[in-house]
Amino acid sequence: MPDERKYTTVSIPIQLYEKIKKRIEGTGFTSVSDYVTYVLREVLASLEEEEKEEVFSEEEEEKVKERLRALGYLD
Amino acid sequence: MENVKKVFVIGLDSAPPELLFDKLLDKLPNIKKLLEKSMYGPMKSCIPAITIPAWMVMATGKTPGELGLYGFRHRKKGTYNDIWIAHSLMVKEKAVWDYLGEVGKKSILVGVPPSYPPKPIKGHLVSCFITPDASVDYTYPKNLKHEIESVVGEYIFDVVFRKDNRDEVKEILWEMTEKRFEVIRYLIQEKEWDYFQFVEIGLDRVHHVFWKYFDENHHLYPGDNNPYKNVIPDYYKLLDKEIRKTLELLDLDETAVIIVSDHGIKAMKGAFAINQWLIEEGLLKIKNPEILKSGKQLRFEDLDIDWNKTIAWAWGGYYARIFLNVEGREPNGIIKMEDYHKVREEVAELIKSIRGPNGEKWDTKVFYPEDIYPMTKGDKPDMMVYLDNLSWRSAGTLGYESPYLLENDTGPDDAVHSEYGVFSIYLPGMDESKQITSTIYDFAPTVLKLFGIEKNLRGRSIL
Repeated sequence: MPDERKYTTVSIPIQLYEKIKKRIEGTGFTSVSDYVTYVLREVLASLEEEEKEEVFSEEEEEKVKERLRALGYLD
Repeated sequence: MENVKKVFVIGLDSAPPELLFDKLLDKLPNIKKLLEKSMYGPMKSCIPAITIPAWMVMATGKTPGELGLYGFRHRKKGTYNDIWIAHSLMVKEKAVWDYLGEVGKKSILVGVPPSYPPKPIKGHLVSCFITPDASVDYTYPKNLKHEIESVVGEYIFDVVFRKDNRDEVKEILWEMTEKRFEVIRYLIQEKEWDYFQFVEIGLDRVHHVFWKYFDENHHLYPGDNNPYKNVIPDYYKLLDKEIRKTLELLDLDETAVIIVSDHGIKAMKGAFAINQWLIEEGLLKIKNPEILKSGKQLRFEDLDIDWNKTIAWAWGGYYARIFLNVEGREPNGIIKMEDYHKVREEVAELIKSIRGPNGEKWDTKVFYPEDIYPMTKGDKPDMMVYLDNLSWRSAGTLGYESPYLLENDTGPDDAVHSEYGVFSIYLPGMDESKQITSTIYDFAPTVLKLFGIEKNLRGRSIL
């Protein structure tokens, strides 16, 4: 079996913890950890979305698309 | 295996076992000689059997779902048809060269897709055919580009398909491949390496552009005297010659040599205009139906889609991607989440019931991403479809008299992908050949084992 554990601990300020705890009362989130995990995943996903944008300039993307279209990959 | 100090990987995009190991082998003395001392055989590709993601599936040992790469393009979340093009930064999983770098081993990579923009590795990298052109930074480290230019001048990443000028395509293919091998031989001699992998995309291009002239069983085969009859065999001979010159630079007493492809290739029977069919079935609704009768080839963007009544739409390619219009997920989604599985099943059954132009049965395969991968990251389609087991390509364009097209809709292409590529491995000291079968997932564990590394991956080492 791999030695990777499924969870680990990170530290956040107690004040922030309390704030989150209050915020999730009555929501579907059952713990602060759940909520923090959710938010971090969202943030990371949106950062990754941004990375997608930055790789090709508009002109470069058109060049690549033109080739891929001729190769039959785009329609 | 103890005497293996280096591993050299010859990547031949779309090389099929039927040609490389059989039909053309007698024309390829140097590859034949290597195979006589290799374990080799067909290698099952991933789903989808497409260049991107297949080369990275091979290098990481992860499924397309875990990589979040399902093809060359992906749909941006929250949109109907905005796309992003796959590139190197989207690959987050470790590849064999990353594991090797962790134990101090150096790698050289040339053209392994997607490798643009160039990412840092322990070693040297030249990016792949997804690179816009030779004016950008395409190497790691950055100044390697100048060395390449001093060796071959302007480096060529890919050819542009043109139906009207196959001679020019052929000429550039040869020039591209000769330049690539020159760069490869330069790097072999000038840089330190333990692992070397290159991918020659030219083989895939020559297959796609010249297949109907070569394959006498193809429905568009123009006869034995056609001027392009030998282009494919000649290109294989070019590869054989370049491989000989390259192997001469290696110490085969301490170097393992692998030949591998990402998928195979076979005759295209035709293209199926899938969006046109979806309209006929009432699953895709448009507000400007008269445009279909205009006699012009239409792109999906030309349609005025009535999203409030549309259930499904599709993308073309060697395999079809089907998207469902789901409430809360698509901007004007209408399928309720609780009905999702039922609707998907119904659409899948309809697709599987599609018959050929003469009523013949098709061997169509429909895959649900979450069924075939342990994880489905990124922008996955709702269904992945192999029309008649890839023999018919999917055309996203429409406006035809019939959805069955005898020729490809987007360019000169008479071949489609097949599920089995090739894998061969020569080890120092081997003096006979052995037939093996493998899958694309066995590549990474096999290479890592040659360096004494074991990781918990999906495949198994064939050694």
